[in-house]
Amino acid sequence: MSVSRDDFSIAFRSALLQRGATQKFSILSLIIVALVVFFLDVYGFTAVKTARSFINDIVYRVSYLASAPTRLFPGINQGIAGHFNLKKENEELRKVIERYKALDLNLEYISNENKNLKKVLDTENIQSVSNVVLAKVLVDRNSPFLKSIIINKGSKEGIIKGMPVTQNKYLVGRIVETNYLSSRVLLLNDLNSRIPVTFDEKSTQAILTGGGTRKPTLSYLPEDYLFVKDVTVFASGKDGIFSAGTPIGKTEENGEVKLFVDPNQLSFVTVNLIKPSKEIF
Amino acid sequence: MAKGNILNRLFASGPLILLYYLSISEVDTNLEKLFEIFSLNLQIIIIYFWIIKRPNLMGPGHIFFAGLINDVVMGHPLGISSLSYLVVCFVGNYVRNKSVNTTIASDWFTFLIALLFANLLFFSLLNNFSDVAISYAKIGYNTFFTLFLFPVFWFLFQLYQVSFIGAQDA
Repeated sequence: MSVSRDDFSIAFRSALLQRGATQKFSILSLIIVALVVFFLDVYGFTAVKTARSFINDIVYRVSYLASAPTRLFPGINQGIAGHFNLKKENEELRKVIERYKALDLNLEYISNENKNLKKVLDTENIQSVSNVVLAKVLVDRNSPFLKSIIINKGSKEGIIKGMPVTQNKYLVGRIVETNYLSSRVLLLNDLNSRIPVTFDEKSTQAILTGGGTRKPTLSYLPEDYLFVKDVTVFASGKDGIFSAGTPIGKTEENGEVKLFVDPNQLSFVTVNLIKPSKEIF
Repeated sequence: MAKGNILNRLFASGPLILLYYLSISEVDTNLEKLFEIFSLNLQIIIIYFWIIKRPNLMGPGHIFFAGLINDVVMGHPLGISSLSYLVVCFVGNYVRNKSVNTTIASDWFTFLIALLFANLLFFSLLNNFSDVAISYAKIGYNTFFTLFLFPVFWFLFQLYQVSFIGAQDA
């Protein structure tokens, strides 16, 4: 009995403390270092925040370079398409479609506004979006737990936490972390994402809740609310972060919202330099 | 002779290079675009396999550093992936110390223990000390697929080991 206990303690200690010929650190020492780093980061010490911001900028750039081979194959496909002169035509047609879609959505939103005077008053606080920053998506690696992207613009361009991010005027998410040269955008389908929205002729208010799945869902609706398919969902702007009337997606019969922008297909996004009245996250 | 040495060292560094590449690149093992619930923690499989088979190829310092990089890219609090990887490394070391000869079945079973410890630590720290909300269903799927696919990668890595590094176990 005592022999087996000795065996256990020897193997246990050896596993924690042993250092091989090529191993400079024991597991125990590294576990302690990792715990210290974790708690320093979680409790937000200024020095750690600054160091993290610096490390982030470097790692994101390296990550972008390291991911270059994975972008090679789509690049080849595009090259072939360009050879047949399809690419340009496709882009032109897409722009025309987007323009018409945007007009259509604006019309829908304006007509909803006119039907509800209160809604009009609520949306008077629309802020100017003339200040926008176009950013390239550096990393869109999917974590099973966090849905976010890294963009190549940061606090240097005036981006701060909470600013809304759009693509073709459709809402994509919001900034949750800024570094000097890069930022992290929390996507609408992330579990941590909560957006106040408005939709349908009655200007129904709800919260668009990400679930970590492809499509976020509408929650906090009026009792016995029946979903109608293909109703456009807009940001209500009540959180003081997103501009009222920013289109988000279309409803489905089960209460999910099919986003206008596929979160997995982002390459360029626009950050609206609107200073949020409060920070969330 | 020298050329052969360089090649041998390159092959021996293969698992470590793969670990770093998976941590830093956009390449992920989540095929959510194809199959919504599928996600896999390949890094943990790599660490566990090579710690059991060839610990000299996978130093804890490298594992710690790869975890830090993974945290930065994924947006997790710094150090949390390192901790979970080091727990896997610790269980692997312990199993290696206690066992003379391992089979795929024994490795699979002990991997379950390592995975459970690592995920328990990861998610309890994330849940208690961070604002980030996590889906328990996703954790379950991730753990299940990682465990379920372990034998597949076990065979692949075993094949790599036999073909490029040498058949002798640690």
